[in-house]
Amino acid sequence: MDPEILEDWDRRLRGLLVAVCLLFAVLFLRLFHLQITTAADYAKESEDNRIAQRRVKAPRGLIVDRDDEVLARNRASYSISLIRGSTEDDARSVAALEEAIGEPVSYSRRSASVRLKRDVDFQTVALVEERLRGDGFPLHVDIEPQRDYPYGELTAHIIGYMGELREEEAASATGRYLLGDYVGKTGLEKVYEDSLRGVDGVSYVEMDARLRIKDEHPFPDREQAPIPGHDLRLTLDLDIQRAAAQAMPDTLAGSVVAIDARTGAVLAMVSHPSFDPNVFVSYRAQDERRQIVQDSHRPLLNRAVSGLYPPGSTLKLVGAVAALEAGITDTLSTFEACAGSLQVGDVVFRCNNRDGHGELNLLDATASSCNIYFNHLALILGIETWHEYGRRFGFGISTGIDLDPEEQPGLLPDRQYHIEREGWVTGHLMNLVIGQGYMLVTPLQVARYAAALGNGGVLVTPHFYGEAPPTQQIEGVSPETWETVRLGMHRVVYGENGTGRRARVAGIEVAGKSGTAQGPRTNDDAWFVAFAPYDDPQIAVAVVVEDGGGGGATAAPVAGAVIRAYLEDQARRQQAVSAETLQTPEPGS
Amino acid sequence: MKRELDLSLLVAVGMTIIFGITMIYSAASGSTLWRSQAIYAFLAVAAAVAIVYVPDKLFYDLTYALYAFGLLTLLAVLAFGTGEPARWLSLTPGGSLRIQPSEFAKITTVMALARFLGDRSSEQVVSPRAIIGAVVISMIPIALVSRQPDLGTAVSFGAPLIPMLYWAGMRPLHIFFLVAPLLSVVCSFEPLWQDQAPIVFALYIIVSSVVIQLLLARLWVTLSMLAVNLSAGLVTVYLWANFLLAYQKARVLTLLDPERDPLGTGWNIIQSRIAIGSGGPTGKGFLQGTQTKYEFLPAAHTDFIFSVIGEELGFMGAVFVLALFLFLIWRALYIGTMANSRFASLLAVGLGSILTFHVFVNVGMTIGVMPVTGLPLPFLSYGGSSLMTNALAVGLLLHIYAHRHEY
Ligand SMILES: [Zn+2]
Repeated sequence: MDPEILEDWDRRLRGLLVAVCLLFAVLFLRLFHLQITTAADYAKESEDNRIAQRRVKAPRGLIVDRDDEVLARNRASYSISLIRGSTEDDARSVAALEEAIGEPVSYSRRSASVRLKRDVDFQTVALVEERLRGDGFPLHVDIEPQRDYPYGELTAHIIGYMGELREEEAASATGRYLLGDYVGKTGLEKVYEDSLRGVDGVSYVEMDARLRIKDEHPFPDREQAPIPGHDLRLTLDLDIQRAAAQAMPDTLAGSVVAIDARTGAVLAMVSHPSFDPNVFVSYRAQDERRQIVQDSHRPLLNRAVSGLYPPGSTLKLVGAVAALEAGITDTLSTFEACAGSLQVGDVVFRCNNRDGHGELNLLDATASSCNIYFNHLALILGIETWHEYGRRFGFGISTGIDLDPEEQPGLLPDRQYHIEREGWVTGHLMNLVIGQGYMLVTPLQVARYAAALGNGGVLVTPHFYGEAPPTQQIEGVSPETWETVRLGMHRVVYGENGTGRRARVAGIEVAGKSGTAQGPRTNDDAWFVAFAPYDDPQIAVAVVVEDGGGGGATAAPVAGAVIRAYLEDQARRQQAVSAETLQTPEPGS
Repeated sequence: MKRELDLSLLVAVGMTIIFGITMIYSAASGSTLWRSQAIYAFLAVAAAVAIVYVPDKLFYDLTYALYAFGLLTLLAVLAFGTGEPARWLSLTPGGSLRIQPSEFAKITTVMALARFLGDRSSEQVVSPRAIIGAVVISMIPIALVSRQPDLGTAVSFGAPLIPMLYWAGMRPLHIFFLVAPLLSVVCSFEPLWQDQAPIVFALYIIVSSVVIQLLLARLWVTLSMLAVNLSAGLVTVYLWANFLLAYQKARVLTLLDPERDPLGTGWNIIQSRIAIGSGGPTGKGFLQGTQTKYEFLPAAHTDFIFSVIGEELGFMGAVFVLALFLFLIWRALYIGTMANSRFASLLAVGLGSILTFHVFVNVGMTIGVMPVTGLPLPFLSYGGSSLMTNALAVGLLLHIYAHRHEY
């Protein structure tokens, strides 16, 4: 070639080489940045890609009754997740699953693995594992523990249930919970969440991009074992609980509470109607859950601690104690004879016996539940003294049971309360002293009141778990007063005109008080409170049956059934103990 | 007739191909793809060497016929193409043997350009008629390929145009005139500059006009430049808003910000960057790349083979590969200075430009400075068509070298 041309080409070669080197310099600098300057960041990202930190759920503690009968346990549940790909791939997988199981699936693109369906049955698991995965859909099945309540309705209000953590709750519970976790929502599951829960562990797993596991334990040293949650052994006795539930009339709402009269340990707590808590932990039972929530009989309400009732005549013993202490009456003295009614101001108050009880002393007035006697007594007593004694018995304040925060304090109205509304007239006190008017109590408060009446004024704190909280002695009441009131309650059950004769139980002496309260319902609410044995009260019971009519007729047999169950349970216990003693060889023999 | 082979080129190409087969073995471990690639490689090198013995004049004479044939195959792809999107032609029923005509058409287009420009003197090349002719020769295949649609390959047809015009005799200022509308496109490209786009564009228009006016002092040139630049910018804005396909837009946008869709379009770029970055200075070791073997890296044995090299062999391996390519490119351009004709010289430069473009776009894609275009890395990516085409190019270079003393 022409030397001039060759020279030109050489010049242009240099020009092109400069351009090529500039381009390669860009690549070189970028590579240097990636592989030298920021290599550590990418090494970390590469590890994050293939290493998944897995939470090893701590097994939740069991809840058992005092005889170790299991009331809440864990079972395996299967959920189906999707490993995310492109939007179109995801939509195809979701559609395939929907078609296979014939149900809609909710789905949102939020994280790399999306949980599509929780708590599915074995059939669905098999379907996903064998068919859909075989067809190449990136679905997989996870096993997660789910709560199970073997006694369902029987213990629903006590144990409560678990539910999915809500978004706002997850945000406030820093680090401990993840969205979608189950936490105790009501009852003891909620109150003892922290100790039941335990501490989750951590493990690592190496996976490829399709989430196929390549190494189950790539970092054995970094793993942490979970710390299981504590088991709760309750004070509850399932036999007594069952007896109480069975004794309640099937068709009527109401509540039964039985506590240890000495310690406040709750032996039974029934709220009727009940519900199946398993419906709330299962993902399959959406419809049933809605039904329960919308049920007009309000089965979710724990009537024992949140049901508010006028206590009716069961409350008369507050007046009795106050009057005895004030010296207004004693065992033998009587007021004006009961003629069936009494006019106070403009209002005529009637007795439950329209013909009148005639002349009665305190014991007979208690046994026959004469309203007029207690009206006379209250006229002398006055609202302030009566209210003070009501307060000492713990009315109008929560008992502090470890079933917070569902507990209601009830209402113990004083003079001020009435003044703020329609003004004070003595007639209000006529209502309050017989447990009517604005007075509202919970069955639990009444059970504690019954215990205090039986055990000489010891106010216990009802509880389900742990050491018994300290008790409190009701002050300013003499032993003689307690004894008189106890005697009156004994006559309710064993007296000739006693209203609570149907609470009698063979083999144990029962004392009690009936009540028939006018509430918002068509019929009266039937009440009965009791303690037994009479000489050394161990159990105190409160029963309320909404719409039940007369307390002596409807509620007293329920209390009797509970006490009978307690007696039988005690007998079994003693047998077990003596059997054990017989088997133990005498030392040195 | 004894021919002198350019051994340095042949050895460098052989090394690159063997290196590629090794990395395909790692990238597609468990499969026999590396073996098919080895067979392709054997055939390809044999073909390359065979080309050396073709009579020198034959290529020149057949150039336009080959170009026309190349266009016909591209038309055939549009009519009977297979694949999704359709870029292939099946040679056998069922498609077990198929080719990607756009790869072969690249070579024939470069040949046509080389002949068109080579037939004209340096002075003639600068004439508008010559430039328009060259642009038309490039634009026809670009138009056909972008209908497939294959944006990356389409652009690669245009890549040799400017270096070849420069080689044929254009001065840098002329090149600037040609490139100015492209710069205008870049400066008015809204996704690149976002809110600053109008400012960048205005700045470019003012500076380019002032520079041209100062250099040439001819008002009509400056004004027509201004008009061309302005319309290029406005057309860009219009096309971006109304004409580009969603997937093309997404690719461009994801290049600028891969985090936009980390599990969709951005996945490839992110995973490739992680693979290369985590390779560090010396790499994770052959067959030890977790991004590769755990399938985080998509298309590891084809488009993203460089990421496998970066992950398993680290900065050392990556720089070694860049050095190999730099040598190949230099050798191609250098052969261009030894050619026995303007046609041969331009052909060598055109082939070197295509190689440069492919390497820059593919490697740039794996490290996140270029969009995901689906252009393979020459000699390294798995694929018969690509390997054959590149071998053909090497064959032509060997041919030019071997015949350099025949006038
Ligand atoms: Zn009376």
